[in-house]
Amino acid sequence: MKNLNSLLAGIFLAVAFPFGVLVISSQVQLGSLGPAPAEEGGPLFPSREPGLAIQGRAVYVSLGCVSCHTQQVRPAGQGSDIARGYGVRASVARDYVLQKPVLLGERRIGPDLANYGARAKDVGSVHAAIQHDGQFDFLYTGAKQEVATERAIALAAYLQSLRQDYSSPEAKLKQ
Amino acid sequence: MIWLLAASVLGVIAALQQGSLAGGPFRDCEILTYGHIAAAQHNLFVYGWGFNAFFALNLWLLSQLGRFELRNGWLATLGGAVWNLALTYGVIQIFAGNQTGFGLLEFPREVGPVLAVAFLLAGFWPIVAFARRPTGHTFASQWFVVAASFAFPLTYLLAQLLILWQPASGVVQAIAHSWFVSNLLLLWFGASALAAVYYFLPKVLGRTISGYYLAPVAFWSFILFAGWTGPAALIGAPVPLWLQSVGVVAGAMLIIPVIITAINFHGTLSAEGGWSRAWNDTTLRFVSFGAVAFTLFGVLNTVFGFRGYNAVVRFTSFAAGQEQLLTYSFASMVLFGATYFVLPRLTGSRWPSAKLVHVHFWATALGAVASIVALLVGGWENGKQLADASVSFQQVAKAGSTWNTVLCVSAVLLLVGHVAFALNAFGMILKSSAPASAGRHD
Repeated sequence: MKNLNSLLAGIFLAVAFPFGVLVISSQVQLGSLGPAPAEEGGPLFPSREPGLAIQGRAVYVSLGCVSCHTQQVRPAGQGSDIARGYGVRASVARDYVLQKPVLLGERRIGPDLANYGARAKDVGSVHAAIQHDGQFDFLYTGAKQEVATERAIALAAYLQSLRQDYSSPEAKLKQ
Repeated sequence: MIWLLAASVLGVIAALQQGSLAGGPFRDCEILTYGHIAAAQHNLFVYGWGFNAFFALNLWLLSQLGRFELRNGWLATLGGAVWNLALTYGVIQIFAGNQTGFGLLEFPREVGPVLAVAFLLAGFWPIVAFARRPTGHTFASQWFVVAASFAFPLTYLLAQLLILWQPASGVVQAIAHSWFVSNLLLLWFGASALAAVYYFLPKVLGRTISGYYLAPVAFWSFILFAGWTGPAALIGAPVPLWLQSVGVVAGAMLIIPVIITAINFHGTLSAEGGWSRAWNDTTLRFVSFGAVAFTLFGVLNTVFGFRGYNAVVRFTSFAAGQEQLLTYSFASMVLFGATYFVLPRLTGSRWPSAKLVHVHFWATALGAVASIVALLVGGWENGKQLADASVSFQQVAKAGSTWNTVLCVSAVLLLVGHVAFALNAFGMILKSSAPASAGRHD
């Protein structure tokens, strides 16, 4: 403790060792995940996002939507996520491999959006939800804020692209 | 040490902004949408107040303990200036809609390297002070400060790299992020504030820490377990189960340093009327408040790491309440107490108004308690309702509105306290004729 070098070495290990085990080894474990078919020859999931949805994610990040909305469904037995209709199965790591950045979120001031695209009825309802009773009217123009701006259109496309209702090798849906 | 003054001033401004920003929601205004305000307020509080103030306090502490005189003060001042410029730029960018989506790393990625360099200029001096100390003997405060000053830049650089510059694949970003946040909160805020408590309690009371022989165990167990606690914030998330378990176990092990610091702090305060003496001393009143808050934080952290409880409070305001307990009720209250001790010795003058000190204490203490009760109890109730799928989300939100009112009141109380503190501090700085650069006094 009197020796600076051994003190610093101890502190360095206390930072580097958890980093190696927690972060690097999970990169090793999960880093090679990619879209995969649930069964031999099936379609690949998660599927590539449309370009408009990628622009929409930028809007989502820019407005800080992640402060109030999560995008993760917990397994049955931990909370009521599945019972509440946030998803048909728990989220798995593979669902997020194409997302940059990954927006898991930490607070649910608003509902979870991991499967928003699967439960939204039509584009109109998505825009109504984005407006949040007038809080986000700045994304719309027109006399009654009924015309969506480019950003709102991209955001809606992004929200509609959010879905984890497919089977994947880790999480097969019951037929 | 002009730097301390600059830091306090900027810190107070940041704290003020924090109080005022937490106010009511502005409708239909893009710049002030909640996603912007929440991020800006969080970053201003952490990087504006928490870092500036601890830069100054950590340096002051190790200068005192190591009989060190900072000769290249301009380097630290330069670092501070760069830090605050980068911070200002980052906050403006958040309001302009340029943020990354990762809590406490929201600043656009070009800010990261600048902050890291500024940290090395401004925040590394405590280690130099430790290396150059004339005596072989060391004290608990010194270990904790050295740990904070060394662990943070390392953590920050690695996190920047893997989250913003060369993003890891998929959820590994979230794992790296949880590791970063736990290190920031525990190894910067926690370790720095613990160092201050270890210094001020015996200093002001004029007695030794009880059970001091346990302090090295507290230090090493704290350093050892803190870095592993991150994934506890990812329970139920789509990350490997073994990671979540490691986080939970580390969180539970953190009870060891919490118990030892409790023995050290509360034992010292309990002997020979220590509590009443602490209550009558401005510095110790704040510091003891912080010491109690840390113990409470440690216990809650352990209990609510367990899966059953965690499943209830997950995604509610509970985590924000725990963070508030650590960064405000513990770290900030200790910082306030330290300022009451340090600033008069640096400026060579007295605090202008005793009334403002009382306003500061009561407003911040009540505000802190109110906000924590609202976040923790409100979060628990909220979580209980969310766990019942038959209660709709709208109903849950409505039920929480009482707690939101309490939160608004507490934000106003905190603002009042910070204004009182700022008036007093500015008054003293303006009044003092002695040049602030006089360096160490007593």
